[in-house]
Amino acid sequence: MTARRRGRRLRQTGWNIVGLVVFVVMVFPVFWMISTAFKTDDQIVGEKPTWLPLHPTLAHFRDAIDRPFFWDDVKNSLIVVSVTVAISIVLAFLAAVALARYRFGGRKLFVVLVIGIQMLPQAGLIIPLYVVLARYHQVNALSGLIVTYMTFVLPFCVWTLRGFLLGIPKDLEEAAMVDGSTRLGVFVKILLPLMGPGLVATSVFAFITTWNEYIFARVLLNDQQKQTVTVWLSYFLGSSRHTDWGALMAASTLTAIPVIVFFLLVQRRIAFGLTAGAVRG
Amino acid sequence: MLDSSSNAAAGTLLGTSRRRRRLGVRAAHAAVPYALILPVVAVIGVILGYPLYWLVKLSTERYGLFELIRHAGVSVGLANYHSVLHDSIFWRTLLRTVVFTTANVVLTMVLGMAIALLLVRVSAVVRVLLSSGLVLVWSMPVVVAVQVWYWMTNFENGVVNYVLTELHVGNFFHHDWYVTTFSQLSLVTLLIVWGALPFVVITLYAGLAQVPGDLVEAAEVDGARSWRIFLDITLPILRPIVLILTSLSIIWDFGVFTQPYLLIGQSKITSGNYLMSIYLFEEGYFKSDFGRGAAISILMLLMVAALSVVYVRKMVRMGEAVQ
Amino acid sequence: MKRRSIVALSLVVVLAAALTAATSGATKRAAANSITVWLQVDAQSGWPDIVAAANKQFQSDHAGATVNVQYQNWGDHLQKFDATLAGGGGADVIEMGNTEMTKYMAAGAFAPLDKSAFDNSANWLKGLAASGKFGGKVYGVPYYAGSRVVTYRSDLFKKAGISKLPATTGEYVADAKKLLAANSKKGFSPLYIAGTDWYVAMSFVFDYGGGIATQVSGKWKGLLNSPKSIAGLTAYKNFFNATSRASKTTDETHPNPYDVYAQGGAASMLGPSWFTCCVGAKFKSATAQFVMPGRVKGQAIPGFLGGSDLAVPANSPNKALASDWIKDFTSTASEKALQAKGNIPNATNLLGASVNERAASRSWFVPTAKHWVDVENGNVLRNMLAQILSGKLSVKQAANSASDNIASVLNQS
Repeated sequence: MTARRRGRRLRQTGWNIVGLVVFVVMVFPVFWMISTAFKTDDQIVGEKPTWLPLHPTLAHFRDAIDRPFFWDDVKNSLIVVSVTVAISIVLAFLAAVALARYRFGGRKLFVVLVIGIQMLPQAGLIIPLYVVLARYHQVNALSGLIVTYMTFVLPFCVWTLRGFLLGIPKDLEEAAMVDGSTRLGVFVKILLPLMGPGLVATSVFAFITTWNEYIFARVLLNDQQKQTVTVWLSYFLGSSRHTDWGALMAASTLTAIPVIVFFLLVQRRIAFGLTAGAVRG
Repeated sequence: MLDSSSNAAAGTLLGTSRRRRRLGVRAAHAAVPYALILPVVAVIGVILGYPLYWLVKLSTERYGLFELIRHAGVSVGLANYHSVLHDSIFWRTLLRTVVFTTANVVLTMVLGMAIALLLVRVSAVVRVLLSSGLVLVWSMPVVVAVQVWYWMTNFENGVVNYVLTELHVGNFFHHDWYVTTFSQLSLVTLLIVWGALPFVVITLYAGLAQVPGDLVEAAEVDGARSWRIFLDITLPILRPIVLILTSLSIIWDFGVFTQPYLLIGQSKITSGNYLMSIYLFEEGYFKSDFGRGAAISILMLLMVAALSVVYVRKMVRMGEAVQ
Repeated sequence: MKRRSIVALSLVVVLAAALTAATSGATKRAAANSITVWLQVDAQSGWPDIVAAANKQFQSDHAGATVNVQYQNWGDHLQKFDATLAGGGGADVIEMGNTEMTKYMAAGAFAPLDKSAFDNSANWLKGLAASGKFGGKVYGVPYYAGSRVVTYRSDLFKKAGISKLPATTGEYVADAKKLLAANSKKGFSPLYIAGTDWYVAMSFVFDYGGGIATQVSGKWKGLLNSPKSIAGLTAYKNFFNATSRASKTTDETHPNPYDVYAQGGAASMLGPSWFTCCVGAKFKSATAQFVMPGRVKGQAIPGFLGGSDLAVPANSPNKALASDWIKDFTSTASEKALQAKGNIPNATNLLGASVNERAASRSWFVPTAKHWVDVENGNVLRNMLAQILSGKLSVKQAANSASDNIASVLNQS
């Protein structure tokens, strides 16, 4: 018994070490970005890499925040992303339920539509989308960008949520229905809690995709106080002159914060909390 | 499994429809699925309907800058398709892109599954560390990630060269990682897989939460080997998600643009290292030949559809079977 | 618990929708006396005060008029421009790189301008003025230019025993040997040039009397395989091998030459005059500039005259106002202010004696062909240079294939 337990512990330690190695390899580029943000200009281009700036400088962060329209653009990004994600998840969930739980004529056509949209090369759509949105006065407006993002996020969300729904045994719902629950009751009591991780994974995806999207935001928004934070970021690289790497890295670090905050908020709520210890190998 | 043996599938289908009839589906209920998909169809239809029509129409027209400014193209039938399909660069690019996509998808899925399973096995602290690390990676805007990767591999003072030299792997001082097409695309592959892993791992991990723990435990008590448990219990439950991730990865990696374009760098892009989306950009948009660009777009759509049709059909059929 | 989160979610949706409604709807075409100006972000980071001064002047001339300046990135501004050409809602004034102009002029994207309305238009820099002219009409007003100069470390030159700056490329090669002998640093470049920096390579070609392409009775003919061009390319190859340890396949921004220089990796570098911005704190005081010499003593090497033009898109509803704004932004006062920021002003009568301006005394420009941009985007020249420097092809083979390639691209309908 004890030998077995010891063996188990040893194996656990082994896995932990592998996990840490994966962590280090994956995170290194991120670490490099953040540590660069704190380095002096000389350290940044140094031939011998500076692993950790011992005398970190905040100058790059100050530079970045002082660039015009930083706060405007952060606000715009937050609006665009939260609206896109919230509406998309709700609408996509409805459609996913239809796909996973009902049979209806035109179902195949809908599936083809959902998958086909994602296969379209986006480059081909930039100009025609601009033309359509301009016709409805939705160019240079956040609302125009939001509907654009929705068309790209929705198919993905429908598709992934359908996958998660298929993973939930139907018997559970049917048993509840036989017990006399209403469809809504089944939805709230059974489906939603089980769908938690799936909803979180999908919304994290939608959040990050829209937060990091660049080219449509660039083409559709003109005024600098109306742009999103990725477009703001692009101005660091858009000049024909000297690129301020330190400030760019500081700015990138700053723009990553909302994504991390969002993830931390939702992950503790549902995904990892629910699943921790659910599956033990 | 379910999807391949039609008998079993048919049996399940019959079973469900009978059961549903027993539950009493009224006529009004027939409208329910349509009501559920209506919002999604409406949004996509209103926003993308016209652009799609435009794209198809454009692909049959001579439509350059001159025509763009006057908002009027000249119909040329299938000439754009003809010119693309008779372009040897197109076929070479297609072959390169298929190989590239395969490598990316296989690496992404295998590593993604491995890390997701690893997440289940490590202790809570490591799990939190690793999963937040993944989100950090994910939260890095692609444009910035490319810059950082470029730095790490650059000729003059890249960290990779420095570390490899220090570790005595060889003399990597002033090693140029961007000389051959193969090494360029290998670096791009690493970058893409690295960037795709967070999403794949987190989705698979969320899927693993649906694996009933008691099933696994029971199997363990029975003395089943862990890879058998994986094949017999875990994988079947993850199947829909794996299929979705695979087909999405195929679609995305086939059409990837930003990473190769920026990491290889515009100044090193030639017809010798094109990927499909770069071909589209260079031939269609940089040259302002929008009609040809539209034709390439549609051909790309067909190609990726052909590439992923196996997975998509499996996926759809599985959906039917489960019912 | 769960029900509460649904309520919360719907609240978010409603709230967000309201916010959007509040922020949208501002896209209606602006008033008749308002113009939109697209400038590259260089102006925002480099000389916002000059833009502001021009706006002020413009508004004092046109009471009640407003100017909305929107900054663009070099990397994607043409894509954005294309979209507005198709869908409207774009700019009334747009800044274009001088090599980007021809294609758009040929397609009729710009409105013709009255040259005489602009300050110093009789003396516009030849290279820049040519880039804004098509079919005998003027579409682009020169905004500013930049040339390439040598930025060098006087301390290293002194240490190597170089008392006189090189006056010919031949002397530069000899000095490079001395600099190398005096420096044991690994990978050290006496003169850092990126292998595929075609601006430098073409300077050699033009210095040897060669060229890129020329129009013969309506058809473009490639010139890179002419004996003179081949002599120039061979000279570039030898010069590069003697002076630079940069990657043979990289371009002039990967890495930035000044980053190499700031690390002590180069004794000199060839590039825009603003390179002094970033030479590193410890080398700042020892850094100076001189004009890149040519093959013959007393003559600068012909330099590429890069620059920007200002144009009025044909679909602008306010063409007269747009032209007036350009007039204010390219006024003598404005150009002098640009000069003070280290740029070359747009007219010869404003030229001073800075290194930057002296280097512009001999200059070359790309062929003014509709499809030239395709040659640039297709990296025909860079590819040729990489082949030559890496020894994959002989100078002659590489030049032949590039020359044919260029001719076929330029002669497309």
